[in-house]
Amino acid sequence: MNKVDYLRQTHHEFLAAADEALANPKLQVILGRLGDTLGQRNREAWAQLPGSDQVREQARAIKEATLAELDKHLETLETSVQRLGGHVYWAEDAAAACRYVAEIVRSQGDKRVVKSKSMTSEEIHLNDALEKAGAEVVETDLGEYIIQLAGHRPSHIVGPALHLSAADVAEILSRPAGRTLPVERETLAAFARQELREKFAQADVGISGVNFAIAETGSIVLISNEGNARLTTALPRVHIAIMGMEKVIPRLADLPYFLKVLARAATGQKLSVYTSIITGPRREGEIDGPEQFHLIILDNGRSQILGGPLRESLFCIRCGACQNACPVYRSVGGHAYGGVYAGPIGAVLTPLYDGLAANPHLPQASSLCGACQAACPVKIQIPEMLVRLREQMVETPAAPSRLEGLAYRCWARVLKSPRLYRSATWLAAQTVGRWHRGERWLRKLPGKLSGWTKQRDFPAPAEERFRDWWNRGQE
Amino acid sequence: MSRELFLERVRRAVRQGQAYRVHVSPAPAGTGYVGATGDLCEVLAREIEEVGGQAYVVADYAAAREFVARLLRDEQVTSALCWRHAVLEQLGLDSLLAELGIERHDYESLSALALSQQRRVQLACDVGITSVERAIAETGSLMMWHGPGRERIASLLPPLHLALVHRSQIVPDLFDAMGLLIDRGAGNLPSNVTLITGPSKTGDIEQQLTTGVHGPGKWRVVIVRGE
Repeated sequence: MNKVDYLRQTHHEFLAAADEALANPKLQVILGRLGDTLGQRNREAWAQLPGSDQVREQARAIKEATLAELDKHLETLETSVQRLGGHVYWAEDAAAACRYVAEIVRSQGDKRVVKSKSMTSEEIHLNDALEKAGAEVVETDLGEYIIQLAGHRPSHIVGPALHLSAADVAEILSRPAGRTLPVERETLAAFARQELREKFAQADVGISGVNFAIAETGSIVLISNEGNARLTTALPRVHIAIMGMEKVIPRLADLPYFLKVLARAATGQKLSVYTSIITGPRREGEIDGPEQFHLIILDNGRSQILGGPLRESLFCIRCGACQNACPVYRSVGGHAYGGVYAGPIGAVLTPLYDGLAANPHLPQASSLCGACQAACPVKIQIPEMLVRLREQMVETPAAPSRLEGLAYRCWARVLKSPRLYRSATWLAAQTVGRWHRGERWLRKLPGKLSGWTKQRDFPAPAEERFRDWWNRGQE
Repeated sequence: MSRELFLERVRRAVRQGQAYRVHVSPAPAGTGYVGATGDLCEVLAREIEEVGGQAYVVADYAAAREFVARLLRDEQVTSALCWRHAVLEQLGLDSLLAELGIERHDYESLSALALSQQRRVQLACDVGITSVERAIAETGSLMMWHGPGRERIASLLPPLHLALVHRSQIVPDLFDAMGLLIDRGAGNLPSNVTLITGPSKTGDIEQQLTTGVHGPGKWRVVIVRGE
């Protein structure tokens, strides 16, 4: 296991973590296997949806219209859930959400909790809060179960244990097994199935996230491939669902558009294995499903984003496609980003939730190649948002450097004047160009400028300027 | 913070956010409808195989009954968790299970048990036998509307899920299946509707496909063409 601090919740250095990830041969092998969401499998799935671009546009249009009247849709959702006998809680931040959940769990007397995968619960560090309140919390998604045992943070939105090899997993699962499990996927999965069945059978409270919440019906939609989300909402007596407030959609008729794009973007499936539309607690006469349904609606910084220029980031349906498509993510992995949400969308969300000053490198952790936007099922303009964040950093730098300001002013001056530009390029060709004859890149710049070449090479000036070469050809 | 303050903050953000709305182009009705053409039984069977299930198209209920009997014997099933459903009655599931000496559990028998005993029985069943509300040919999905007699656990707890689908239950597209639900009206949905598209799967160990991690690892669908 490598040395990255997987439990980080405070300060994080992207550059140091990225260097460490790049120097970790095991992680590089794992990342090398990462399926590309712009690759064959996903392309085939998209190809079987004629007019897929229009479907993505429609999903996008629904998100846009919903956010424009979010308050109304949330109130409708509340009314619908209450009509079904469910309970709704408004949590302005992580602490409030954790408090509500802990109170519900405590009121049940028994404190055994099973959880299905929820990025929102990771965002609010719910497990820590519940354990402090004396509850036993078991993650039931296989990937989440593995990293919970190992004490790691998720490294991918869809595949939280992506950073681990099968050998790592065998080692981690051997601990609760009390014997050495073989490095065989089927055996490891079978062991987890058996262990977790026990937990499901005993638990009184099931906690889930929410993929979509439907305002007019009061339903929540849960999507999974393993079936743990179904177990979490079928066996325990109490179901608590936690949603970021942007997860609401107005009508049931809006849902198919999202279902048609979500799995295609995430895993190249037409639909994930299980899609459940859960509408309130169990009804009269039913013998499965929860007796109580509690819905926690979370703000935690979202209202601030909703009122600002990066509002579009709230369109995100958490499919992970931008991560798999991103050359930076594919090189450094999820933990380097430091936040709960990694990859391109994480590079937008983490600075928004956690502050730009604390995460100055994240908006820079992109070549702006646009692969994320191309892979996104709701076509979020991630590169533009990253540029916007970079602008904000320049406008309000954390530690303004007078020297840097001076350098850029000089640079602007040179670019504005043809005469100065000619002289400068002549000088560069005569000096640096000559000294580094035949080299295309400079690996290290002197003095203060060496900051540039720490992370990338600098293009060497040519020995002969283009204009000289051109003029020579004309003669 | 109270509900009112929460919503007031959202309202303010919505107003401020009007300045940052992005351009979108809503699609015309019918966008994304894929459908399926030709023999829907065959299309459904093909798509089910595509997602890792096994599908069998049979001519009528008599053939289906024979087929189910062989399958249950081959799988050495001793106890079954069953739905109450018209399609299963047509098949004569009750008498078939009795003939095969398979212990049958369903809504009535389970309701009579104490909760702890219920759970123990449910967890021990070898097979879950259900029908569907609708099956979607395009995606190879089964749409289940759950309620008394149509338990959600039947397609979830046992390691094998066996579903019987009649030709009349097959629709071409997800939009058709969702349309039926929408037609019921927003205030009239079942407590749980689940679309099942394949056996339980995970890619959580080295991104390699592993089946049966929580739900059934074996997923068999018998499609009955005629009466």
